[in-house]
Amino acid sequence: MNDVTQQDGDDGRRGLLKSPQDFAAGLFLIFFAALALYGAYGLKFGQMRGIGPGLMPKVTAVLLAAFGVLLIVTSFTSRGSLLERWSIRGPFFILGAVLLFAATIRGADFPSLGIKFPALGLIVSGPLAVIFSSFADKTTRWVEVIIFAICITAFCVGLFKYMLRLPIPLAPWWLGY
Amino acid sequence: MWDLFGNLALGMSVALSPMNLGLCFLGCLIGTLIGVLPGVGPIATIAMLLPITFGLPPVGALIMLAGIYYGAQYGGSTAAILVNIPGEATAVVTVLDGHQMAKQGRAGVALGIAAIGSFIAGTIATIIISALGAPLTKMALLFGPADYFSLMVLGLMFAVVLARGSVAKALAMIIFGILLSTVGTDLETGEERLTFGWTEISDGIDFAVIAMGMFGFAEIIRNLENPEARDVVKMKVGRLLPSGAEFRQSAAPIMRGTFIGSILGLLPGNGAVLGPFASYTIEKKLADDPKRFGTGAIEGVAGPESANNAGAQTAFIPLLTLGIPPNAVMALMVGAMTIHGIVPGPQIISKQPQLFWGMIASMWLGNLMLLIINLPLIGLWVRLLRVPYRLMFPSILLFCCIGIYSVNNSSIDVVMTAGFGLFGYALIKFGFEPAPMLLGIVLGKLMEEKLRQALVISRGSFMAFIERPLSGALLFLALIIIVVALLPSIRKSRDTVFVE
Repeated sequence: MNDVTQQDGDDGRRGLLKSPQDFAAGLFLIFFAALALYGAYGLKFGQMRGIGPGLMPKVTAVLLAAFGVLLIVTSFTSRGSLLERWSIRGPFFILGAVLLFAATIRGADFPSLGIKFPALGLIVSGPLAVIFSSFADKTTRWVEVIIFAICITAFCVGLFKYMLRLPIPLAPWWLGY
Repeated sequence: MWDLFGNLALGMSVALSPMNLGLCFLGCLIGTLIGVLPGVGPIATIAMLLPITFGLPPVGALIMLAGIYYGAQYGGSTAAILVNIPGEATAVVTVLDGHQMAKQGRAGVALGIAAIGSFIAGTIATIIISALGAPLTKMALLFGPADYFSLMVLGLMFAVVLARGSVAKALAMIIFGILLSTVGTDLETGEERLTFGWTEISDGIDFAVIAMGMFGFAEIIRNLENPEARDVVKMKVGRLLPSGAEFRQSAAPIMRGTFIGSILGLLPGNGAVLGPFASYTIEKKLADDPKRFGTGAIEGVAGPESANNAGAQTAFIPLLTLGIPPNAVMALMVGAMTIHGIVPGPQIISKQPQLFWGMIASMWLGNLMLLIINLPLIGLWVRLLRVPYRLMFPSILLFCCIGIYSVNNSSIDVVMTAGFGLFGYALIKFGFEPAPMLLGIVLGKLMEEKLRQALVISRGSFMAFIERPLSGALLFLALIIIVVALLPSIRKSRDTVFVE
């Protein structure tokens, strides 16, 4: 989705497209509407006195597409915002940290990709997620983050595992649970 | 009348048990904490804490979750007054005059009047809920499926009006939400819908996953993008208790704020958010010298703060009497109830009176506790506000990961939450507001169910929605609201309300 991003600023030089943000927003809606229509293809619409499982998804998808078209049309007629710049750093490190946590907490196997994540448990996955995510911020200091990651994980282990007894794996490779 | 006292006595006996008292206190404490910290809201927190409530008795679990919600309203004002950042969306207007008061060295008075106003509002709202609970439940029994459907349409239209920016985009978000709510197995036919053969979502997408992704992770990414300068007030907080003159000045705004907040909180469609804005606007209109507003007028703190707390409490009425959650937090409460096998709706009050009245009584006790948590402990909250965001966001992220993993002990849920984080970020970038979408997701399933039932009853005729007086009136109201929202002059003034 990044290729539609435009540079901020220069408000004066806008040609035919008066609201790039609305234009992209319209495309975004149409994409999801099309996806939903494809997914709901085989579902029965039913009759009015006994509506089928397909009615709601199909009707809402068509309406969604209609709003998408509306946004695209108005993006040529009325002035609106420019597209905002997408940052890469934030989403990459934040969502990456979350995925890292998901992959390592209990382990994950992707035979088709040839990647296998070991089951590391909260004791390792916790600091891993904290440290990886902290790269999202430029002002992060190394030593501080590492110490903090250990402390906050210890706190979480105490709170969630021992006080609240959530069944989250701690360190399967070491403790066996 | 005597019924009311009997019911409240029953509620007190439930709420005063040591366990429930402790859970209420814990909820209020957590609520204040997340309210004070900007960037963590009650939605993400309650989603995160849902797994913890598995092991608790249902009454205690709900008392705690409710405490988080209204506790956050108290805490939100602390950040607004001391740091110039609203800790919660409902504290946005408190920033205007509250922070000015703090700059003049009257931070303590601002905090004091906010807490006292909130307490008075909470007390009155508790009485309103207990007085309206029973009659509204009786009324709810008269509601047919068509009426339910129309009421939810009305609620969604309110959400459109309350959303910032373009009406078309807000409507699109609601429809998108309803579409997302259809994902999963169809309850009537057992057919899988929009799952693309993916078994993980054949039960539908967990609301906690969506809420956490869009309000937990997407918020973090957005906050990192626009780092906000925090200017924690360096001056002394000063005396907390307002003077007699300040009390007299605030008394009427508190009462008006409570009234406005209570009424708006009742609306299905998150009207509670509007309360502080409405209160501020009215106080400014009524003031002898409107120019004082924005430079530290105590009425500008007292009114809105009372309104947001009153609204946070009356927002429970649609949930407890009709079974319709008016906002995302209430939808998570539905989740907590379902875990314990409680079906929200009019039957709660008759079948589980101890739950209904216990929760209401705990709200008043909670407000009393919040007064204590907030005022003497203010030094602690100020210190918390100095924790830099670079340490806060990794902690929030870790809490979210642990919480969402624990809901179903599923790593896939964590992955999906990351997906919704990206989705939420994209929505922000395209100028969509996530709140109406969340309400669409919340109400979508129930709307479809009621639509089906209504059409079976009417044998497929849509006229039933218009011919039934209640349903017709509700739809008419919804139509008026949307037409009004589209009028150019109203749109302009709506924008200024949000800008102010």
